Amino acid sequence: MNLELLKGSRTRILATVILVIVAIFVVRLFYLQVIRHDYYVGVAKQTQESRFIIPASRGEIYAMNGDIPDQIVMNESVYTVFADPFTVDDKTKVVDSLKQIAGGNVRPNFDQLLDLKQTRYQILANKLTRTQADKLKALNLQGIGFQEVSQRVYPEGALAAQVLGFVDTNGAGQYGIEQYENDALNGKNGLLQAVTDVSKVPLTIGKDNTSVPAQNGKNIVLTIDRNVQSQVENILATDMQKLNVKNGSVLVMNPNNGKVLAMANNPSFDPANYGQVADVAGFNNNTISAPYEPGSDVKTYTLATGIDKGVVKASDTYNNTDHIKVDDITVSNATLGHTGNITFQTALLYSLNTGFVTVAERLGDGTNITKSARDVMYDYFHNRFGLGSLTGIELANEQAGTVISPDDPSGQGNAVRYSNMAFGQGLDATLIQVASGFSSIVNGGNYYKPTVINGYVGDDGTFQKVPDPAPLRTNIIQKSTSTQIKEATHDARAVSFGKTDKPGYYIGGKTGTSQVIVNGQYSNTETVGTYLGFGGGSEDSTQYVIMVQVSGKDQILGGAQQALPIFTDISNWMLGYLKIQPKG
Amino acid sequence: MSLSSQTQNNYYTSRRQQNWSRNQNTTRFKSSVKLGPVAHTVLVALMITVLGLIYLTQATRATGYDYQSQKIDSQIADLNNQKSDLQIENARLTALSTVKDSSVAREMTTPASTDYVQQ
Repeated sequence: MNLELLKGSRTRILATVILVIVAIFVVRLFYLQVIRHDYYVGVAKQTQESRFIIPASRGEIYAMNGDIPDQIVMNESVYTVFADPFTVDDKTKVVDSLKQIAGGNVRPNFDQLLDLKQTRYQILANKLTRTQADKLKALNLQGIGFQEVSQRVYPEGALAAQVLGFVDTNGAGQYGIEQYENDALNGKNGLLQAVTDVSKVPLTIGKDNTSVPAQNGKNIVLTIDRNVQSQVENILATDMQKLNVKNGSVLVMNPNNGKVLAMANNPSFDPANYGQVADVAGFNNNTISAPYEPGSDVKTYTLATGIDKGVVKASDTYNNTDHIKVDDITVSNATLGHTGNITFQTALLYSLNTGFVTVAERLGDGTNITKSARDVMYDYFHNRFGLGSLTGIELANEQAGTVISPDDPSGQGNAVRYSNMAFGQGLDATLIQVASGFSSIVNGGNYYKPTVINGYVGDDGTFQKVPDPAPLRTNIIQKSTSTQIKEATHDARAVSFGKTDKPGYYIGGKTGTSQVIVNGQYSNTETVGTYLGFGGGSEDSTQYVIMVQVSGKDQILGGAQQALPIFTDISNWMLGYLKIQPKG
Repeated sequence: MSLSSQTQNNYYTSRRQQNWSRNQNTTRFKSSVKLGPVAHTVLVALMITVLGLIYLTQATRATGYDYQSQKIDSQIADLNNQKSDLQIENARLTALSTVKDSSVAREMTTPASTDYVQQ
């Protein structure tokens, strides 16, 4: 049938209008579906698809319990209860339920917050446990919501707080291992992008679904032994109170591999309540981040240098007049009266500065601390024993300290400075540096980088121990030098303090009392006391190095009076804990 | 019209008549059943409907699995949370401070003397 419409007829006009409308539709559809295709596909995706961040769980931190790792930092889900006051219909029920279930977790005057109808979000309670949250959820309270938050839990309380650090409200690690290993502990969030139903349940329909699983953070196992750490903290706190000391720090390490067994500072803080700390200085781990003039502990370094270079032996003598002139200054002994020809062993015993300035001079031409003597001392102190340089321990905020080179362009690396350095003044070092260098002296001459990481715990719970570290520098002193220093420090301790040690063991050490610089000058009213020592079953078996530091504003503290008793208490306990058999 | 009542015949058409290429064993069977345009339309519509139903069935079934999967995921998450809570409780109960304050620890005494086995 051939339909012919009369020209100008209404039917023809209608047909034309319809044709035009259809054409408009076609053009519009072409525009929407072809030209704007990508835009509308995007809009559709936005409506139909949802993106879910799959949060990675922050890695847990373990400490050793003998040979087994135990969790000391864990993660716990807690809940924040919030309200939309506008939609709360039964205020009395909400208030009563929260008081009954949330108890002390509610905010003060939280009931008044529910009257603020013009606001849509008010936090009513914080840090509810899962049980509390489940009970509240079961009540189906109108206008009440819950937000799950992950927080750090410390089953051992404040144990090793400065080693651990804490995690702030943004989820970032601060101080200690939490900051240093923040990236490893954090892991990587996963992503799920999928078409969802109205309840936001992800559906498998949709061709662009994406699923990237979260990578949980690493579970780090520290070398810190929780039993040693706990005992050290207890002894430190008890002895500090007994000895009237304001600040104390203790470091216990294995000299044969550089592993730190305990690192304690007092005062400390509770990482679960880090916000309540009055002074942020309390977060600092003074064993790594507070360089100081180590004082007489360094005399063991000077003697080791002299013996190793073959210029002195502990049994050699020098003429002690209690004073010695170096360039335009006179160095005096703190303990006077042991004058005449005395051995360097005696100088070590009474910590006579003149003896060690003499060693420095003998490294030169015998009467002067020459440039070559200073070069030797710098090589041993800085390059070999590691004073004045970062050790690389895996903890945040480590400080390097300062050992001024003889080639320093300021000219400060002169004989006067090096005479002071011979007895531990005129240089800044941290406890970890001094203890690590001393470890290499007593272990036969191998310098190990100090470490706090012992391994990792996998997702399946297995402990993957990192291999024992190899020495960073080998044979930095001769084995015979090591033996002589051990004998010298053992004998020095045995004469004065040997009775306080458990009998039959081989314990040695050196006291240190150093002046503190206040307002650019050495203070006469403030000193820092230290004790640096080692212990083991015999002269051939050194199993721990302990370093103690005590300090306090306007306190005159001595190595022998305040630091040594703390060392002795810890050392005697360590002998039993490590099941060391006496051979002496 | 009943299709089953009809006899189906095959008609042979020679290759020459069909212009097929040579040396190919090609036959053509021509059905005697004739379908009109309406029947075609109905059949196509039916096929589309069946395919649509199959798609819907499968999509619904897949979505059903999604809900099951979601439920299982939720159960796994709950169990993991419970496990985590128990681990924390265990850690708290075995913490040194707890052990130190336990009745067993309180009754322990320091040995008067210690002897060592000679190695």
